[in-house]
Amino acid sequence: MATNAIDQTRRMLSLVTYLRERPGAHVTDVARAFGITEDELISDLDVLPMCGTSFRGGDLLDIDTDGDRIWWHNPDDVAEPLRLAADEATALLVAARAVSTLPGLREGDRQALLRATAKLEAAAGEAAGASSRFSVTFESEGGVFADVDRAISERRRLWLRYYSPARDKLTEREVDPIRLFAVGHTYMEAWCRLSEARRTFRLDRVAEIRLLDEPSVPPEIELRDLSEGLVQPAADDPEVVVEVGPGGRWVAEYYPHDSAEELPDGGLRITLRTPEPASLRRLALRLGGDGHIVSPPELAVSAREAAREALAAYESAGQV
Amino acid sequence: MAIAKAERLMNLALCLLGTRRPLSKRELRGSIEAYLEAGTDDSFNRMFERDKDDLRELGLVIETVENLDGEAGYLARRDSNRLPAITLDAEEAAALGLAAKVWQQARLAGAASGALQKLRAAGMPEAEDPYEGHQSALEPRIPVHETAFEPLMLACRDRRPVVFDYRKANAARPETRHVEPWTLECWRGHWYLAGWDRERGAERVFRLSRITGKVRSRAGSFTAEVPDVVTVRETVESWAGETATRTALIKLRQGSGYPLRARATAVRDLGDGWDELAIPYGHGLDAWLVELGPEVVVLEPADLRADVVDRLRAVAKD
Repeated sequence: MATNAIDQTRRMLSLVTYLRERPGAHVTDVARAFGITEDELISDLDVLPMCGTSFRGGDLLDIDTDGDRIWWHNPDDVAEPLRLAADEATALLVAARAVSTLPGLREGDRQALLRATAKLEAAAGEAAGASSRFSVTFESEGGVFADVDRAISERRRLWLRYYSPARDKLTEREVDPIRLFAVGHTYMEAWCRLSEARRTFRLDRVAEIRLLDEPSVPPEIELRDLSEGLVQPAADDPEVVVEVGPGGRWVAEYYPHDSAEELPDGGLRITLRTPEPASLRRLALRLGGDGHIVSPPELAVSAREAAREALAAYESAGQV
Repeated sequence: MAIAKAERLMNLALCLLGTRRPLSKRELRGSIEAYLEAGTDDSFNRMFERDKDDLRELGLVIETVENLDGEAGYLARRDSNRLPAITLDAEEAAALGLAAKVWQQARLAGAASGALQKLRAAGMPEAEDPYEGHQSALEPRIPVHETAFEPLMLACRDRRPVVFDYRKANAARPETRHVEPWTLECWRGHWYLAGWDRERGAERVFRLSRITGKVRSRAGSFTAEVPDVVTVRETVESWAGETATRTALIKLRQGSGYPLRARATAVRDLGDGWDELAIPYGHGLDAWLVELGPEVVVLEPADLRADVVDRLRAVAKD
């Protein structure tokens, strides 16, 4: 965590209150309680002895550490628990309310969260007021979620019928679930035994799910860093270039891309990478007159042929 | 070496919290080393004003009181800065710990951990191990990729009007919009703003990713009344075509188009490898059907069929 002055000040104010109640506290315990590294804590402890109510009066905080335990030799009553700021109350309340609406949350956790939220609202008082102006909804498919959640906690394999939009097909497969996460939609990360690779499944595309009796034994793999975005094309994935008019600018919002150059007519020239360019035939069809595939040429051809074949069905029925 | 800002802020906070009577700027300058080193009166004054604002952002209530000589004094009273008593059990603490991790935005992530730290200092128990020990396998994340988020969050919080350039989904050029921002809502991973559009004289919903350039604040206060309930989601759903108004009849090749089947109100096997489906028909359905190319044929209504055929023709002639 990068330390900025605001976050550090906030933390140090809480730290003095915390230390006052715990003479001789261990560095490791305090760092864990504050959710920071020991180095961050030590850098706070370096600053605190420079702080006080007057540097000339000699009433600086006499806090020191031998690297293992922390001592405050002149604790005073400045260190009372401080009220929550509007941003603090908002950040925690909005998140708590969002999490409590997750259909897959365990009932016990939900109840605990609702109790905590109510107490927090009361303690925050006026500072909680603005939090009602922000809200977050997680999408989640209740039944599927519960089965995946249970499979993870009981370490059991899952059987899925899963819809792949790229191929417009339902496929059946067995997977060893690794984790569930929600970013807009809810997803399961799992080891797919069909493709022998890590796969991410969007729960609203699961057509059918069953818990199997076999144990789940995903190989030890490092979890993906989700802050980089869900779709992380590989450097050697084939490149696709799409040109869109003003009506197709939404493509740049929905597809992670390497570049989006402005075109003189208000359109964009978008370059992206995907392991399966054929899956973008859907996009080419959807764009209609609002854009077209520049490369690879075989993708442009396949979209054109699909459109012609589709039109033929209307023509033979005499409907156009 | 210049004194670090965190040290300066901490000193100012302790001075203001520790005093029983208002302290003048002169007194504060004499008590805090960084202010003595500030150089000119001007640079000290600027620094002091900024620091006071920063501490207020952190939640400190700082009062300004004039003394008999008309000189301003400052203090942060104990009783207006104390956290009211709050007792959380270990389960509640663990639940809040999970919630505090969901923000993927620096300012809110910092604020959420700051809130936890204050609660911790006030005696909130520690969960055994907030992550590993937690039984739920779920990791919710609130994504915030839009640069317009932070300025709009502050404007919503403080009820300040804003101006920004906004490009509608199908517009070539952005237009300047004057908005009184009411609420921000995240749905399906995207952020939306609802507010009063001053020029259109009506409520509008904006998608943050379509805001181009900077969000600028405007002086003055709101002119329109803020409604009790703001419905962002219904508006976005209608953009997304999820508010069906009619029913369409389509032919779908068997094994294809699962999402259409999942929402079909009736399915009939035509016997030749095709099914006939009745599906809800709202805005945007044509684009969705055309994606499936030759796997789908629209039977009715005629206007939907014409839209799909138009789109197919545009691709066929490329």
